[in-house]
Amino acid sequence: MKRIPKLALTVGLIAAVYGLFVAVFTYILHLPVPASVMKMYMFFVTVVVLLVMTSNEDSARELVAPLEALVYQPRLRRLRAAVFIVAPLAGFGLTYNVTRPTLDAPLELRTVHPAPPNSVKVFGKTYNLLTLENPYRAKEKSDLEAFRQAVEEGKTVYFQNCHYCHGDKLDGKGHFSGGFNNPLPANFTDVGTIAQLQESFLFWRIATGGPGLPNEGAPWASPMPVWSNYLTEDEIWKVILFLYDYTGYAPRVMKEEKGHS
Amino acid sequence: MKPRNTLFTLARRVLAVSLVALIFAVNGGVAFAAEEAAVAPAGETAIAPVGQPAPVLTEESYPLLGGGSSRVKVWIVAQLHLFFAAFVLGVPIFVLVIEGIGMATGDKRYDAMAKEFIKISMVAFSFTATLGGILLFLLAMLYPDFTVYSLKIFRPILIAYALLFFGESLCLYIYYYGWEAMSSGFGKWVHLTVGLLLNAAGMTLMVLSNSWATFMMAPSGVTPDGAFLGDVWAVMHGPLWNPINLHRFIANIAYGGSIVGAYAAYKFLTAKAPEEKAHYDWMGYTANFIAVVGLLPLPFAGYWLTKELYAYSQQMGITLMGGIFAWLFIIQALLIGAIFLGANYYLWLGLVRVPGGEAYRKAIGWMATVLLVCFLVWFTPHTIIMTSSEIKALGGAHHPVLGALGVMSAKNTAVNIMILTTFLAFLLYQRAGKIPKVGWARGGNAALAALFAAGAANIVTLGIYGYYIPANIRIGLSVPQVFTTLFVIAAASLINGVMYRGASETGPTRWGDMPARSQYALFLLAVSFTWLMGLMGYVRSGIRQHWHVYTVFRDYSPDAFTPTLGYAANVVSVTVLIFMAMVIFIFWLDNFSRKKAAHK
Amino acid sequence: MKTLAQILAFSLMVVGGYSWFSNSIPQLRAEPPSEESVSLEGMTMESFVALGQTIFEGKGTCPLCHNAVGHRAPLLVEAGSDGPPVAARAPSRLADGRYHGTASKPEEYLRESMVSPSAFVVEGFGKPGTGDSVSPMPDVSAGSIKLSPVEIDAVIAYMQSAAGVDITVPLPTEAVETAESAPADEGAVKDMGALAEKYECKLCHIVPGVDMAGEAPDMGPDLNGLKRYAKGAPDKLPLREYLRLSIVEPNRHVAQGFEPDTMPPDFADRMRVSELDLAVESLARAAEGGK
Repeated sequence: MKRIPKLALTVGLIAAVYGLFVAVFTYILHLPVPASVMKMYMFFVTVVVLLVMTSNEDSARELVAPLEALVYQPRLRRLRAAVFIVAPLAGFGLTYNVTRPTLDAPLELRTVHPAPPNSVKVFGKTYNLLTLENPYRAKEKSDLEAFRQAVEEGKTVYFQNCHYCHGDKLDGKGHFSGGFNNPLPANFTDVGTIAQLQESFLFWRIATGGPGLPNEGAPWASPMPVWSNYLTEDEIWKVILFLYDYTGYAPRVMKEEKGHS
Repeated sequence: MKPRNTLFTLARRVLAVSLVALIFAVNGGVAFAAEEAAVAPAGETAIAPVGQPAPVLTEESYPLLGGGSSRVKVWIVAQLHLFFAAFVLGVPIFVLVIEGIGMATGDKRYDAMAKEFIKISMVAFSFTATLGGILLFLLAMLYPDFTVYSLKIFRPILIAYALLFFGESLCLYIYYYGWEAMSSGFGKWVHLTVGLLLNAAGMTLMVLSNSWATFMMAPSGVTPDGAFLGDVWAVMHGPLWNPINLHRFIANIAYGGSIVGAYAAYKFLTAKAPEEKAHYDWMGYTANFIAVVGLLPLPFAGYWLTKELYAYSQQMGITLMGGIFAWLFIIQALLIGAIFLGANYYLWLGLVRVPGGEAYRKAIGWMATVLLVCFLVWFTPHTIIMTSSEIKALGGAHHPVLGALGVMSAKNTAVNIMILTTFLAFLLYQRAGKIPKVGWARGGNAALAALFAAGAANIVTLGIYGYYIPANIRIGLSVPQVFTTLFVIAAASLINGVMYRGASETGPTRWGDMPARSQYALFLLAVSFTWLMGLMGYVRSGIRQHWHVYTVFRDYSPDAFTPTLGYAANVVSVTVLIFMAMVIFIFWLDNFSRKKAAHK
Repeated sequence: MKTLAQILAFSLMVVGGYSWFSNSIPQLRAEPPSEESVSLEGMTMESFVALGQTIFEGKGTCPLCHNAVGHRAPLLVEAGSDGPPVAARAPSRLADGRYHGTASKPEEYLRESMVSPSAFVVEGFGKPGTGDSVSPMPDVSAGSIKLSPVEIDAVIAYMQSAAGVDITVPLPTEAVETAESAPADEGAVKDMGALAEKYECKLCHIVPGVDMAGEAPDMGPDLNGLKRYAKGAPDKLPLREYLRLSIVEPNRHVAQGFEPDTMPPDFADRMRVSELDLAVESLARAAEGGK
């Protein structure tokens, strides 16, 4: 069996590790890999592979030999010329790609679920978010008909106001969602959103909208309207009912509050 | 002659070790007693302060000197002073040990190398003193109120400091210039004693000046508004003093080793004659060994320091690990990674010069893979930088897989495995070219393999277990992980040492037969060590934030803000470059004097 | 030489790489906290509670430890595994056998917990090794946090509001605040000797009718010769007018032989009207009597 030349082995190894990363994340985990992480990973992979390949003299010589030949060998004239044209061009392309202005929003480190305040002032009243409860929630047990009625009304509120961004399936993929960057409209069907939260948290988020976020939540980035200017208190509670009813999640209640989510 | 010599060495080693231990024990013992005494009156505040409260200043209280930020001036000079101080304190420690080894083995090469090491530190010694003087001058010029405040408290120590400095210089000069005169018989014993005194004076100097820094971080012995209570010992013996003492003691050895390694590398690259090359190759190898041996326990000393820091002030601890300095540790990760890779690469290349080293070449690939995997885990940040389109694709800012690698459980596991792998590289180098004579060699090898496998398995299991328990219990898991690592290192050294006693060699080590790039690994170590020291100096000082003396003496100067990491990194880089220019000057001076001598 | 250049280039590359990387990650700069004082004007209980919350989350740095994630300290304003919010559980703490403070009312308990946290240590949150007898929490009225009594009251009001119990701390009054911040004003002085002492006139001027303790300062004009200076001024004002203006506006006319900008220009702000009258009258009389 013929041995693989060192240079090919080096390039092949680095490419294989890259392929492995991509394969594992795309096809097994179904998750994207952030470019910043990938770049770092590949930088270190390249460094380590080169260190191993040059860790003894024979191997190092074998690795460098083809490159030396490329520069010195008269018979490789054409290849040399090609490389000396292509390499600077590639460098140019790379530099251009890195520095060219893009339409991407600038990077921002933003906390997705900031800690809620303890109370919120809307509709001219102060609500204590620690004890606040949905007035319709109790009806689920006592008066099912009135509860269903409230859910129906919440549904109307949702489709008149919310579904443009949050989607008709409540999955955050409404008509306008393509126009947002970070944050995206929340996907209520995801286990990480309303299923983790109390109804009072939703009340706070809906009533005060994007501008009501604390600083770490980057209030300037969220386009969510301050709904207390457009909806009544009653309508907000009903639409919250609808969100939980449609997705089948139960709101988190106080007694469960233990440890961290 | 020979056995007697060995006996002497043994006695010498025991003596040296016990003296170092004694210094620490006295320190610790007195400290403990003082702590006991200090606990009682703390609740009553019965002591009346003898000093004035820390002054309240305005921006005008800080004189300006030329253009530019006063803080940056003091910062650069203080850091340069510390670079040189760490170097001149670290070198005599291992010089003494090497001299002792030389005396024990009767091998003159050790003696010559020890003398060459100390020679490099001679010029550095005067640089240290000069920079210390400039630092004091700058402090008095730019921060007069702070200088007056601290001098009033530390006045008695300054006298001791001056005396000790005089004593240290005296010891150093006698030690260096008396090397030849006291090279045999009883004279050598005297010489070693002088070396010991030199180290004792140096170490005491270090702990004295450490107390100044630790007082600024975690003041003790003063009232809450900064008035001195009258007991200097209570001021010195703050909660962070001993952790910093230990941390700096170990770091000085590692740092001294790395700088001496750079010196050897420089001499190796410029050497013409083969025997000269061989000498400096061997010197570089020894220096790298010292640097790595110093590096391995350093994370554990760091844990202790951080733990004490949290115990002193949670607020300070969180500022360090989770506040504005959280990102600093990703830079630290890069540097430590570079140091580990550099040290390992040097060891791999070292197999070239050992006949029979080829047998272990295959292991390099595997060790590199383990190192790489650990390093990638070690380097994955907790909060990942993502573009908005990536957040969109992920559906949120939290990456479920990579985010999990960002937590402490993963990092601790990775760094312990990295340490074990580096130790394994050492072990393989030690074994290369030797054939054990003992009958149980096969069993011994199996035991070693089992030891490493079990250790690694234990560390990884503990790391994974950490994901299933709450954060406050998880922190405690780092202790068994560390002990596993230390145990494997100790047990493997023992087994290997016994197994290879009297082993036959396949051939002599070909010192000097090293490719040039191996020497650049040594430079990488020296530069990275220096830079890392500068960075950690910044964070140690920076966690005080807007305080001269934390919680008691506020910084009212225009520089009271905490700078960004990038800004700090640039200052560190400039400082490192100045330091290197000065070091290169010292190397050049050495060559220059030799040329002169050759002419005569 | 070539080797040296190569080493330098290599080192520059490494150092530059580290610098570049450090600059490529998110950059934060922390400003020192501002030391603005709290205005108590028009304070209602609602805004007092809001102030308490601002202090709780900001200057007090309370959530650094008192949060639901780290398990470093019991929760204070939220209900959780530690029970209801702290103001609601205070009565049961006072009844606890392990409590050894001096408070008798929940409000006092809250205040005590902030300034001497070891009076009651919640189980599991003590300093390690002390068997929950010593709290790791600092005294919030000292050290790096240093809340004033009014600020502590505001935090108590906030904690009581968050727990939904009655707010028992009184609204701070103007009187409390002035007693806290401004140095006590001992009132207007009644005689020239005390006035020359209080405003340090004697440091620069020889003041007629005042015990100079043997000193004869010459930084400012000898006030015995006031009439002469008044005459020397270009606008020829009456003596009392001249004197009054010279005190509140010292650079208006600088007597010959003296430097401008020597006398502090802020007496108009510092002196009371009765004191200014006293000074003018007493000095004018002395000057006229010395005629």
